This record gives sequence, C-alpha cells and structure tokens, in this order.
Amino acid sequence: MTLQDSSKAVSRFRIGIDTGGTFTDIVSVDADTGAMRVTKVASTPSNPAVGLVRGVNAILAAGGASPDTVVGLAHGTTVATNALLQGEIRSLGLIVTAGFRHILEIARQSVPDGYGNSYFWVKPDRLVPLHFVREVGGRLNFRGEELRSLDEDSVRAAARFFRQHNVQAIGVCLMHSYANDAHERRVAEIILEEYPEATLSLSCAVLPEYREYERAITTLVDAFVKPHMDRYLKRINDELGPVLRDKPFLIMQSSGGVASAAQVVKKPIMTALSGPAAGALGSAVIADLAGFPDLVTLDAGGTSTDFCMIEAAKPHLTNGGSVGQFPVRIPMIDIATIGIGGGSIAWISREGHLKVGPRSAGAEPGPMCYPNGGDEPAITDANVVLGRLPPALIGGGIALNVERARAGIAKLAAQLPGNMSAEQLAHGVIEIANWAQANAIRQMTIQRGIDPRDFALLSFGGAGPAQSAAVMELLGMKACIVPPNPGNLSALGLLAVDWRTDHIVTKVMHEDDIDLAAVAGHFAALERDATATLVRDGIDPKQIRITREADIRYAGQSMEVRVAAPSGEVDAAFLGRLIDAFNAGHLRTFGYNYAGKQKIEVVNLCVSGFGLIERPDMPKLATANGAPQLKGRRPVYFGDRFVDTPIYDRPTLPPGFTLQGPAVIEEFGSTTVVFPGQHLEVDPYGILIVRAAGGKVAS
Amino acid sequence: MNIRTTPGNAKPWPTAPNSVSVAVDPIILQIVEGTLNSIEAEIEFAIERTARSPMIREAHDYRVGLFDRYCRKLTGRSYSAMPNAVVRDFPPETMKPGDVFLMNDTYQTEGSIGHLPDLCSTVPVFHDGEIVAYIQAFGHHDDVGGRVPGSMPGTAVTVFEEGLAIPPVKLYNEGVRNDAVFTILRRNTRVPEMLNADIDSEVQACLMGARRMAGLFERFGRAQVEACFQTILDKCRDIYRNELLAKIADGEYAWEDYVEHDGVTDPKLHKIALKMVKKGGKLTLDFTGTDPQSSGPINWPADYADGAFLIKWIAPILRNLADTPERAAEIHVNEGVCEVFEIIFPPKGTLITPEWPAATNARSFVLLRCLGLLAGVVAQAVDGRMPADQETIRYTGFFGKDENGKSFLSREVLGGGSGGRYYADGNDAIHIVPDSRNQPAEFTETRFPLLVEKLALSTDSGGAGYRRGGQGYEKHYRALVDCRTIVTADRVRLGCYGLNGGKAGQPFCVTVDAEGAAIKLGGLVDGEPVLAGQVVRIVTTGGGGWGEPLDREIELVQRDVVEGRVSPASARDDYGVVFDADTGDGEPAVDETATRQLRAEKRASRVSPPPMIDRGEGFEKMLRGECEPRMR
Repeated sequence: MTLQDSSKAVSRFRIGIDTGGTFTDIVSVDADTGAMRVTKVASTPSNPAVGLVRGVNAILAAGGASPDTVVGLAHGTTVATNALLQGEIRSLGLIVTAGFRHILEIARQSVPDGYGNSYFWVKPDRLVPLHFVREVGGRLNFRGEELRSLDEDSVRAAARFFRQHNVQAIGVCLMHSYANDAHERRVAEIILEEYPEATLSLSCAVLPEYREYERAITTLVDAFVKPHMDRYLKRINDELGPVLRDKPFLIMQSSGGVASAAQVVKKPIMTALSGPAAGALGSAVIADLAGFPDLVTLDAGGTSTDFCMIEAAKPHLTNGGSVGQFPVRIPMIDIATIGIGGGSIAWISREGHLKVGPRSAGAEPGPMCYPNGGDEPAITDANVVLGRLPPALIGGGIALNVERARAGIAKLAAQLPGNMSAEQLAHGVIEIANWAQANAIRQMTIQRGIDPRDFALLSFGGAGPAQSAAVMELLGMKACIVPPNPGNLSALGLLAVDWRTDHIVTKVMHEDDIDLAAVAGHFAALERDATATLVRDGIDPKQIRITREADIRYAGQSMEVRVAAPSGEVDAAFLGRLIDAFNAGHLRTFGYNYAGKQKIEVVNLCVSGFGLIERPDMPKLATANGAPQLKGRRPVYFGDRFVDTPIYDRPTLPPGFTLQGPAVIEEFGSTTVVFPGQHLEVDPYGILIVRAAGGKVAS
Repeated sequence: MNIRTTPGNAKPWPTAPNSVSVAVDPIILQIVEGTLNSIEAEIEFAIERTARSPMIREAHDYRVGLFDRYCRKLTGRSYSAMPNAVVRDFPPETMKPGDVFLMNDTYQTEGSIGHLPDLCSTVPVFHDGEIVAYIQAFGHHDDVGGRVPGSMPGTAVTVFEEGLAIPPVKLYNEGVRNDAVFTILRRNTRVPEMLNADIDSEVQACLMGARRMAGLFERFGRAQVEACFQTILDKCRDIYRNELLAKIADGEYAWEDYVEHDGVTDPKLHKIALKMVKKGGKLTLDFTGTDPQSSGPINWPADYADGAFLIKWIAPILRNLADTPERAAEIHVNEGVCEVFEIIFPPKGTLITPEWPAATNARSFVLLRCLGLLAGVVAQAVDGRMPADQETIRYTGFFGKDENGKSFLSREVLGGGSGGRYYADGNDAIHIVPDSRNQPAEFTETRFPLLVEKLALSTDSGGAGYRRGGQGYEKHYRALVDCRTIVTADRVRLGCYGLNGGKAGQPFCVTVDAEGAAIKLGGLVDGEPVLAGQVVRIVTTGGGGWGEPLDREIELVQRDVVEGRVSPASARDDYGVVFDADTGDGEPAVDETATRQLRAEKRASRVSPPPMIDRGEGFEKMLRGECEPRMR
C-alpha cells in the first residue's frame, strides 16, 4: 500500500469520501484532465464501510472507470466522533501515579455556565468509574528524574485486576511522563505480559505535554476510540475488495492533514474531528479561489450550525478544543457550534414568549412540511412558507406540504400578541435565527481578536445559503459566498490535503537557561520521528516538508502562545527570532505584549511533517454555457410582502453572470437566496458571491 | 469626612415609569433578549482575551453588567456591580458620549462593590443625544495597594490598610483620558503595569459593548427596545412570583448562621440573623438581630439602594425551588427580581451595615454566609426541598525563596464539595466561581519548590445523607525549601450544614508537618513557617448531606466505599451499612442481614427525629468554648 502506485499510467482517479450522518458524499478527480465528478449515496450507520464502498463504486461506475484506475482514497470519518458522543463508555481503565486516583473526579474543579449553577449542576459521570482507576507506586519530578522507582508489583496487580474484570482498553497517565517515558513504557510491558489482549494508550505517546488532567483525558479518549477505529478500518478493508484494498487509504485528521490507516489505528484520537476538518480544508480551497482568503464558514445542518475561521486561506487550529464534553488537547480545527439549524423548532415558552431552538425536529420526524413530518413548525417550514425554499426536497423528487407548514405557523401566530400573519411570523422566526447566528459569529471573532467586517462569510450545508446573505449584512461582512456543490465541500477538502504528522515534547526552559544544543537535539529527534512516520506511509522524502513550532509564555505566566520557529541552525539568532515571533504572536492573540520587558519561557517544542500532495485544479466553468436559465418565478416574502421573484437553476449560470436581488438560486441539495438590493456575481469557478445592497464593500 | 448615603425613598437616580409607551413585538423581544446576552458574553470574551491579572484570566473573577437608563440590570447570567453610585454623583444630564467612570469605594458605591480590588468601570450608552443604558465591568485585580501584597490583609482593622479607595470619578471625559487618575492608581499598586492594562482592557471592552447596545436602539427604535427591556424584567419578576414563591406557604420563617472568626479577635460565633416573611408575591428579608460589626475585615457594607445588590446576589438561590434542575438553569435573574423582595437592614454598625472605616476585604465570608442563610430559611418553609450548604471560599498558598534564592508566591483558590440535593449527591471538589480552574500538579511542581504528593477527594468530608454532600479536596504539598504558608478561609470550625436529616460536612483544615508534629492552623494565617521536607495537608470543606443517611440505597453506599469517598467506618456509623471482611480485591461485599439489623437498631434508638438543619460537631464545640484549631 504505497503511493508508488500512482506512477502507473492507468491510475488517474483520486477519490474523496466524506461520511455524514445521513449521506455519504463522494468526489473524484481525474489527475490527467482535472475533471471532477460528485455524487452522494445514503450512509449506512450500522456499518459505515458499506456506504463508503458503495459510494466509491458508484462514482467509478458513473465515469465508466474500473477500480484499478484509482490512485488513492481519502476519507473523512465520524467514527471516532460518534463513538465519543454516542458511545456507551464501559470497560475503560486508567492507571495513575499513587496519590492521584481521583484525577478525573476533580478535573479542573470548574462548573460550567453562570453564577449559582453549582447548586443544581450535576457533575456528569466520569470517563472511567473510580473502581477502574488504579494507582501504581513510583514518582518522577518535572525534570524527569526518578524520585521513587516504579513499583512493579502494583502494576502487575492492576493488570490482573483489569484482566479479571475484562477491562480491555486501558489508559496510562503517570506524573511527568512527558519528561521521561520510562515508567509508562515499563507499565506497558508489564501489562502486556499479564494481559496480552489489552489495548493500551500511553500518555507519553498520545500527548507528551504537561497538565496531568488534560493529558489523562486525551489518553483515555484515545484508548476508548481505539477498538472502534480498529474494527471500522478492518471492515473497510473487507468491503473494499481485492483491488481497492491495495490502494493508499488515507484518513483525515482533526488537524487538517491526512495520515495512513496504519498511523491512525495507532493513535485514533487524531481523527476526533475528521469530518469537520475536511469541511474546513474544502473551505480553505474556496477561500483561495474566490479571492476571499479571510472567511468565517457557516455550516448549517438540521440541528446545529458549525462555525470555523479561515485566515489567509488556512483553517484556524486550536490545542484547546473538545469533542462533546471531553477536552482533547491535540491540534484540531477550531470550531464553534450553536444549537440552531434548519430543523430547529419555533415554540412558545411557559412565559408566553416566542423561542427558536435549541429543540430540533431533526431528520425524524423532520419539519412539518416533510412527508410524515413533525407537528411543530421548524425553521425550514418558515423558509418554505416564505417561498424562499422550493416546495420540493432534494432535486424535486419529494413534494413538500407548504399548506401544513403554513397552518402550523399560523397556529403559533394565533398564540402570540400582535395579530401576526403566518408570513410575518415565519419572517420573524428567520430573523431570530439570523441574529442568533450573527451573535455567535461576533462572539467567536471577538474571542480571537478579529473584526468580522474584515471577513467574508462562506455558507454551505443544507440549511445555510437560504439565510446567510442576511446574516452577512447583519455583521457588515464583505460578502456571502456559496461554493459550487456546497454539499460536497468536505469531500472536496479531502482531495486538497497534504499528509500531516504532529510531534511534540514538553521542555520548560527559561530564556536565561536555554541550552541551544539541547533544543537542537530535541528538534532533530522530533524531525526524525516526523520524517520516519511519513516515509513509513510511502511518502517520497523529496515531497516532505518539515515545520517547527514552539509553545512559549512569559516567565511566571501560564498562557502559552504557539508560534512558528525558524528552520535551520539553532543558534543565538534562532532564539532572537523565536522570541520576536512570540512577542508578535502574543500581541495578536491577547492585544498586548511585554517585548523587551519580560523574559520568556519555552514550554513545548513541536514539529509537523507534511507530505505534499499535488492539488487538483478546480475546473473553471465553461464560458460557452449560454444564457442563464430562468427556471420560473414565484412570490417570495421579503420584508413585509411577497415579491415576484425570479428562480434560477444554478448549473445554468455562466461565469461572470450578475444580477440584482431578489432572486432564488436552486440546485441539488441547496438553495441560495439573494435578498432585495443585494448583488450576485458568479465567479469563474461557479462560486456565488453575494454582496450587500449598494455594493457597500468591495472585496 | 462626609459620607454620602442613600436618603429615604428619594433616590439620586431616575425611577422607572410604571408603564411603557408601545406594545412589545414578540419577534424583536427575542432578538433583543438574545443580543443582550450576546453583548454580555462579548464583553467578557474581550476582557478575558486582553486582561492580565491571574485572578481575572485564570480564576475568572470578573463580572459584566448591562443596565437600562434607570440603572436596572438587564442580563442575568451572573451578579455584577451597579451604576447607581455613578449616576448619583454625575447626573445623567451632565454625562457626555465618551465619558467613562471608575470606582471601588466599598462605602460609596451603593453596595455594589464589596472589596477594594474590584475596580469597576462604567460607560453610559447614548441614543439621539440621550442616555439609554449603562455598561459596566469589574475585575478582581491583583493589587490595589494596602498593607499586604494582594490587598487582602486578613488582620486589617480599617479600610486604610486595604488599599486605595476610589469613589466614582471620571476616567475619561468625552473620550479624553484623565491621566491624573491613572497616575494616582499606578502610584498606589505593587503591579502598576498590570493594573493599568487591566483597566484599559475593561474600559475598551465596555466601550465596545456600548456601541453594540447603541446599535440595538438604532435598529429597533428607543420605544420598542425599552418595551423589550421592561418585558425582560417583568418576566424575571413573574417567574419569581408565580413559579418560585408559589412553593413557599405564606408565613414567617427565621434562622441564623455564623462566621467563626475575623482574623483579629478570638474565634467566636459572629451571628447573621434572618427573618423571612412570605406574603403573596412578596418576600421580606429582615436581618435585624445580626451581630455588631467586627474589628476584623469580614464586614459587608450591604445597606444601600434598598439592598438592590444584596437581592440580586442572594435571589438566585431560590431557583432551587424550580420543578427541575433544568428549569432552574433557564431562569436568569435580573433587576425584575427586586420587585419581589423587600430588605430590612438592622441599624448601622452590624456585620452587614458596617460603619466606615471598618475593614471589608474578607467580606466574602459574610456575603457567602447570607446565601446559605437564605437557603436554610427557605428550606424550613418547603420541607427541606432545598440543597444543603456549600457556601465558603478559601485561598491557600506558599511564599519564600526557591533553591536559587528567587522569591516565589503560589496562590490557589481550591474548591470544595457542594451540598446534597433531593435529586442528586453534591458535586465533589468544585468551585462556585464559574469556569474558575485549579492548578495542575505538574504546573505547580514546575514553577514552585513544591511536590504534590496527593491530589485527591477527602474521604468522609461530605456530610452523610440520603443524597450525601460532595467531597472536598485533600491536597498534600511537600515543601522542597523552607518557606511559609498563607490561608484565608472560613468554615474551619463550622462545617457546611446538612439538611432534612443529612449531616454537616467536614470543615476546612490546614495541617503543617502532617507526617510529624501535625500542627493544625486556623483560617486566617499570614505566614506559618514550613521546613523543607515537611508536608502541608489541605483538606477543603465537604458539602452538607441531604436527607436521612439510613435511607441511602445500600448499593450507593457500597459504591462510595469502593471508590474511597466513604470509609467503611462511616458506612457503618452514619449509614448503618456493614461489610463482610475485605476479600482483598478492593470490592467489599455488604452483609445484608447485619445491615438490616443495624439500620433498624439505629432507627429505634432515636429519641427525636433528626433536626431540619445539622450544623455539625464544630458548632457544639464552639458553643462549649472549644475553638480548635485556635488562631495562631
């Protein structure tokens, strides 16, 4: 399973597969011609491997290609995420240093949300019940020096205990193991002697970084998803069949790079946000093409909306993320989520006030207008009543019941003061949802020190583009852009991504005591690890690029900033440039710095290795597409009345086409609304660019 | 010196009219309510990103408030200060766009600032040339001068030892910075650059919030936005009246609770008395009978602005009367709640009506006790259907010189166990300040000459109960150099009370040389010596238990023992659960016959039903004059 297959003349197709909850999206690109093809098949949640392979075969069949023409497959998966969010966590064990058995119970002692909530907040169950947390003797200090030797008998006793209780997945997190992994490695040896069937995750391998609680949780999450990922990848291997099985199979990591299945199975936590990372990468491609390198992405699904920041055509990463309630301290795409999506229900609170979300009709039963839909009106119903969404589901196959939606909203209106018509209330429900999204974007950008007016809004997902141009105006953003095939953005991202491997080591060094030779040694070791990992995956060493970073803070503080470190010789000049980079990064992150006033402390040294992949060129729209096809006209409600509005079929819009709103642009799986006075332009790649009324902002 | 006070009924700030001029639009109402909450969050995020003090950044000790032009608080995620004192001294008609005000004087801020480190910025919001709202933020800053670093001297007897006190002053005049104020500030703190930067951060965040607030008025018009404000306030009032107060039968209920030391005089019970009168939709809280003000720093100047701050501070506890915890979490407490309460303060000169210049820096003892006090009074009115006690706070730390002769100071606010509820055990080791965090042991050891030998839950610290109290911490530090330890804590003799048959939790305790001479310290300690190699053991308070411990499900007691939360001895003595001899694998089996028998015996031997509130052994000891640990 190597990339060398790609040298064969017959191998032309690279395939990206993004498995979502409802649909599996597939994109293929012909390396010779650049021709791109997209399709989707129903997901198969009980065994996602089935849907994946069905999709691959479907796209090959559509292009008349055979499996041996495939260069490789890249996959965005929610297996780890779903295991974390839905999985019942049983039979997980933890080994800690004596004295720290309650590490998970204590966590960081914080109570979420507002003041006074500690009275009625109930701490959720911990990842591992205390019964399955075992202490072992032995202690290191922060320099990695041994204060007390490992008590091997206590390790053996723990291993036997876990075997006796059939606890197979075990995390090991000993104090200061990031500084010296000897105790943890020895623990692993002993456990495997006593209990060879055990699945182990060692904190020194998963996250060799100080802060014992976060390291323990991250290690446990890794241990927990390991059996799930292992089973899943075996199933894919079975389903792929003899030819495809031997093609390179890459998996998207949360950090926005791909790794081989062989790497992922060793450290599956890398894929905790695999799916969203693919979407962010696809957005970054669009950001570059559309000439809006700074974007906020808005991905509105049925129950929630995800936001993500793209700056200079690169997705923001964070080391402080979480998946569900679990803090996961590995580099991952920086995503914020709010509980409003197309299925969010409009309802009346016990105080008699109108509310929108967070309750959702979801896919089952779905909005009122769906066949067998629910009994409460959702945002989608409001859009249908206003004529902004077509009265039919994806591709026009399934008719929607507009009258039922209108009746549901009218019934709600009758319970509110003000004698509102169904349309007025529907319009209000959309307004409330738009403000909620705009407020979420404001909060996200303020947290990161960014002004949303300097950014454009990229909208995708089934429930986004019908409203996003209005959200863009609420925030005064530069433009609202809608990519071609907005449902396939994640799959597209999978084809535009490099291999990536991240390596980190904690070495706390004060500016005055930095041993440059030691720093050089650490970087060299990390770089060797990174290169070896990529070479093992079959990357040509000529295609490997290495970057260095460091987490640095002012001595005496605890807020580290991750900054790029210079490559090359580690000398005094290196240190000077590193400190300059930190001062600049601190200013950017926190709005101030102590350049020249305070000494710094290096905390972590990080190395990322990238295996560069040739990106497909996005095809431009054919200019000879002819005139845009007016699909028809229908009354669409804007402001306070219905306006006769032209409806266009997106695939017929030629590059350079412009119009003044109002207009509705329909396509398979998505609908874009251009509001009155707004200006729409179709760019050479078929990207829709909507600007505010009067073209207030030129990009 | 002439101290301004609030005279009778005529308030030096405008009073809201009884009605609004337009009908509220149900859609704009939701947009305004959602956006007010968002503006509050945006200001907090901006401060968190740019402030510098560890107390703000890590302990999250800062609060934001949005107010209408009548100084009424509009949002309700947390408590906040109040703009009343600013309006009192700078009439609204004299304010100009670009004005910013600063204050922290505990006696001249209408009860809104409790201790001097809480410097508060206020920004007026203008629309069409008139003031329509105020935005405020205060943070607990690291140092505002005074006798000790951190400006919280545990043995202060006057405000003059606590730092710089600032009545409302103009920090910016129509956008022009008042450099004199900054000059004075910087000269009166040990961390001038950090303090200056924190104030800048708070002011800039408030100005941003003010622009956002003005945007709402521009978009929807003043009449409609003000109608929304009124509806949001009325909603809170009505939830309290119709939903929460409805659970309390009309009548009179009284109780008292205590702070057991003040850092200056010998330990004694400093009483806070409360009589609650519930009549229809009104709750009257009468603090008459509260003990005289203390010579030490535990006084809380609360008797201003009809107790508006105190009401908003303690009213959230009534959310526990909601039908479910999920419903409780939905209820935001804004100024509307003030219409439901009436506060009767004792005459000047008590713990909650102290006279200037009494010291106030440890006022959190009294302020937190008032929460538990109201919960205890309400519990008696609703058959104990309230959570048991958890309200106390403690700072611990070490200072000295490390191996290289460099000075170090390590300060941490450790959490404790929370009280049992009728629907759940108390939480273990949490801190009541939202999103506040503890120090990872690996951080402590890297930074300070200390080794954390144990970071665990303290077995048996939570009060026994049908739903037991949460466990406090047990944290053992081994000093690697000779140094000193500091403590600011109450509930070091009196435990958090148990409710409805539940037992009180264990008090807070710091022991020096835990492996040797084991010296127990009191709660206000300014530098007890610790020798290299000695272990300092800190045990934080457990929450009070709720309900009869003998009713606790046997399997839950067994789980608690397996998990080390409850000792076998406590299982037997408090819960009547007997175990077979330990089989050695850490999973003791329950002897069901012996358990049934013991529980029956314990029930039969009761002479009277257990009290509604159990104050624990420490209280009995203090009544007898045994005040261990003594102050040192």
